[in-house]
Amino acid sequence: MSSFSRSAQQWATFARSWYLIDARMQPPGKISTMCSIRLQGKHKPIYHALSDCGDHVVIMNTRHIAFSGNKWEQKVYSSHTGYPGGFKQVTAVQLHQKDPRAIIKLAVYGMLPRNLLRRTMMQRLHLFPDDDLPEDILKNLTEELPQPRRIPRKLSEYTQEERDAFPGIWVPPEDFRMK
Amino acid sequence: MTARGTSSRFLRSVLQNGVGRYVCQLKRVSLIFSKNGQGSLGAREFIEDGVVDFARKNPGVVVYVSPQPVQVAKIVAEYLNGSVREETVNKKTTQEIGEILGQLANQSGLDIIRIRKPFHTDSPSIQGQWHPFVNRPSTLGMIRPQDRQPE
Amino acid sequence: MVFLTIACWIRSRGPDRWWRVQEVLKHARHFRGRKNRCFTLAVRAVRRAFVYATKARPKKRRLMRRLWISRIAAGTREHGMKYPVLISNLVKTNVQVNRRMLCDLAVTEPRTFQSLVALAKARREEGFRAALGDGKEPPGIFSRIVHSH
Repeated sequence: MSSFSRSAQQWATFARSWYLIDARMQPPGKISTMCSIRLQGKHKPIYHALSDCGDHVVIMNTRHIAFSGNKWEQKVYSSHTGYPGGFKQVTAVQLHQKDPRAIIKLAVYGMLPRNLLRRTMMQRLHLFPDDDLPEDILKNLTEELPQPRRIPRKLSEYTQEERDAFPGIWVPPEDFRMK
Repeated sequence: MTARGTSSRFLRSVLQNGVGRYVCQLKRVSLIFSKNGQGSLGAREFIEDGVVDFARKNPGVVVYVSPQPVQVAKIVAEYLNGSVREETVNKKTTQEIGEILGQLANQSGLDIIRIRKPFHTDSPSIQGQWHPFVNRPSTLGMIRPQDRQPE
Repeated sequence: MVFLTIACWIRSRGPDRWWRVQEVLKHARHFRGRKNRCFTLAVRAVRRAFVYATKARPKKRRLMRRLWISRIAAGTREHGMKYPVLISNLVKTNVQVNRRMLCDLAVTEPRTFQSLVALAKARREEGFRAALGDGKEPPGIFSRIVHSH
């Protein structure tokens, strides 16, 4: 038999957990996929579209996300104000400089199902541009999700020995003149 | 009628009746008939033939036979859970009345409505239902910013 | 000659048309607006409702299967496997548990489900070993390679 009473069982099954994702140097799309699954509750075997069993997701370091390719310059976010001539188009860089949370927020919003629960799920998404989280959110966190992408090391993070040990294609001769 | 509008319940029996000992849920039966009415002919015949057999076969049931000046003969069955069912036995033969009475004696007294599923259990889970921490390794103090703050 | 229907004739009250209208309105009583009392409106709505009900019966089966699959997928991912891997390996090990029961197991009996996933995982390892390995048997065998077709 289960060790819970019936009502406690109900609370335990439908308890909301709080996930933390560190978005430093992560592709926003992959981060958003993880978020939208958790926000909908699709990672639980009790999932039902109408039972509102989604979890909370906290994303920190949204300022330090990493687009691949030339998306920072070429990805365009369009909107319309509703007034004549109100069609706005901004690139990802401009949007990110205006609001460092907007890119992730838009990506998650686009991945959620188009129904009345969409706004409710969005309210369970907590975005923070840097890694200082408020105390009340820190208290709730239950698990940190692994990052989808391994963060590459910068050249400055390598020690001199590691740099020397790196196999070179071509060793310049002694009398080679760098221009 | 669509299923939404009708009343329904899950399959169940009264206090797991019949799992160990079977307790007849019919408590009291009164056969109301007219002494000289047309429609009560079958009922009168049943009283002559079968009612004593029925009472002997079901010792837990009190059987009342009450002649009243009624147009329609009927059987009023009262169950242990307090529900009362009336069945008209007007213009029924002896055999039909016997069948109706047997059916009433076998019933549990729960109201007869649509049953949602042909199977039901009160304790669906033996191992304990799933909850978010079943398959999760305990991460007490493993969350990074919490760790970092005390330092 | 015994004429049985005459008793029914005597008992039926009212004109025939009224009864036929009631037959339709019976199914429309829970509708919204004048549809639940005016025959002309009700008859169309009832016909539509019956068509929807007919179409919904196979649709319900599909929707339920989709729901089971998404629940099993969620339960499987908790154990670090994917849904197609689980199902294909359970089929290969001749586990004849359908998706509905797998879903019930994932919700109500999580330990049983975990052991099924472990079985599928072992079968998968064995398949990999048969294809890529050196043909030796691993220690602690869970399943044998069974060709289901």
